[in-house]
Amino acid sequence: MNVDGVIALFRRVLDNPEIDAESDFFGLGGDSLLATRVLSAVAREYGVELTFDDFLLAPTPATLAKTIASVPR
Amino acid sequence: MRVLVVGAGLAGLTAAADLTAAGVDTTVLEARDRVGGRTRGIEVAPGAWVDAGAAYLGDRHTELHKTLAGVGLSTVPTTMDGASRFAFGGRDETRAGRFPPLNAVALGEMFDLLDELTATIRLDAPWLTPDAESWDALTAAQWAERHLRHPDARTFFPLFLGEMMAADPATVSMLHVALYLRSGGGIGYLNAFEGGAQQDRIRGGAHQVCERLAGRLGARVRLNRPVRAIQQNVRAATVHTDGEQFRCDAVVVAVPPLLAEAIDYQPVLPAPRATDLTGRGCAVKVQLVYPAPHWRADGLSGWSVSSTGPLLSTVDDSPPDGAVGVLTGFVTGAEAYRFAALSAPEQRAETLRQLAHLFPRLPLPIGFHVSDWVSEQYSRGCYAAVFGPHDWLRLGPRLSTAHGRVHWAGTETSTEYFGLMEGAIRSGHRVALEVLSSYEPVGRTR
Repeated sequence: MNVDGVIALFRRVLDNPEIDAESDFFGLGGDSLLATRVLSAVAREYGVELTFDDFLLAPTPATLAKTIASVPR
Repeated sequence: MRVLVVGAGLAGLTAAADLTAAGVDTTVLEARDRVGGRTRGIEVAPGAWVDAGAAYLGDRHTELHKTLAGVGLSTVPTTMDGASRFAFGGRDETRAGRFPPLNAVALGEMFDLLDELTATIRLDAPWLTPDAESWDALTAAQWAERHLRHPDARTFFPLFLGEMMAADPATVSMLHVALYLRSGGGIGYLNAFEGGAQQDRIRGGAHQVCERLAGRLGARVRLNRPVRAIQQNVRAATVHTDGEQFRCDAVVVAVPPLLAEAIDYQPVLPAPRATDLTGRGCAVKVQLVYPAPHWRADGLSGWSVSSTGPLLSTVDDSPPDGAVGVLTGFVTGAEAYRFAALSAPEQRAETLRQLAHLFPRLPLPIGFHVSDWVSEQYSRGCYAAVFGPHDWLRLGPRLSTAHGRVHWAGTETSTEYFGLMEGAIRSGHRVALEVLSSYEPVGRTR
């Protein structure tokens, strides 16, 4: 599981240290532009290309980490 | 002390208001038959106004907020509820939210690169940014050619530049792109509606700011007086219009660089205000008026983005009282030049043809307004001047440096919020202080 890695990523993109595993990206000021920056970082760090809709369905570090882990590499 | 202000837009009127408050004898000369510059209101229905020019503001636009409070104006939030419409590669589709049907990773990589470059900009002196010379030699199109591999990023980049800064990638310097994005608060802030630079509009229209500032200045503001020449010597300056001369201690030129460059200065300026490569902000605003904001009933926000014109994006611009529905379309970048050159019937036909795909359930509009800022004689572009290759290095260092008794204002002289209403107001306050501190009070003894 990469939950801690995704938490760190959310903190960086949202510039908000108070992110935990259950924080909702879009509820904490994350908009579509910032979302693309999470997805480019996920591609860089985990080698997984997710779509914008994947992120909408998994908007917390816990759920996004699961989605990342579910993609075969 | 007597000061002449050239230009009755936000910058000039802010400066005039500050100078007048400090007891300076101030006269404002305006070329048009109206004040407001790149803000203008259109009354689309009795008592219902929309912005034909500058419109949006956010919380960080603190000086504009102070001005609004000072003249008794308030804001209304921009509504953005519902699904968006997208037309990319000939396919029309409806999607929740604002994200286009493009590869998100590719767009994220593009924003990462832009953000990285933007962060290196030295806002106090953009021409001293590391590698400024090479960034300024590069057009945005050349940058995209080198750095954007994915076709979706290449599709989106010109739309983003058009939307953010009304620039055509082929003609804008990459240093200017980075400066503009940094100056406005970064790509995230500049792009956002809620929590960003498009969070609010001014209730009743942005044009009222200048109207109210001018109202207080009364007869000090003189319309229909294009300034042709400014002469100065050690004792005084003289401003020439077509039939009049105004002698004064100092002049504040508060017009866009392309217009400031067209004035004849004696002695000449030590460096140009604009070059052959300095472009006009490429924006045409099209406003379609409907009996009601019908798209909302269909669950649509009115927001659309298209990869082909004329309207590269649309937004719900309905007045808050709901008297009518207004869809505002933005024609930007190279497309703005093409559209501006069409006849009025062609503009209407092209727009309605596109709308029939984007919003097929809409009736014919009851009002249709085209505001062509590219061709506008006394603006020569909007949102702001688009600096071309080498412009920042040539023009930048002297943009806000006085030439003897001639001082400069306008949103292009502010590296904070360059191109925005906020930048214009900040430049007006800055130039007023500069003038007040530059001249000894005359005719007063201690």
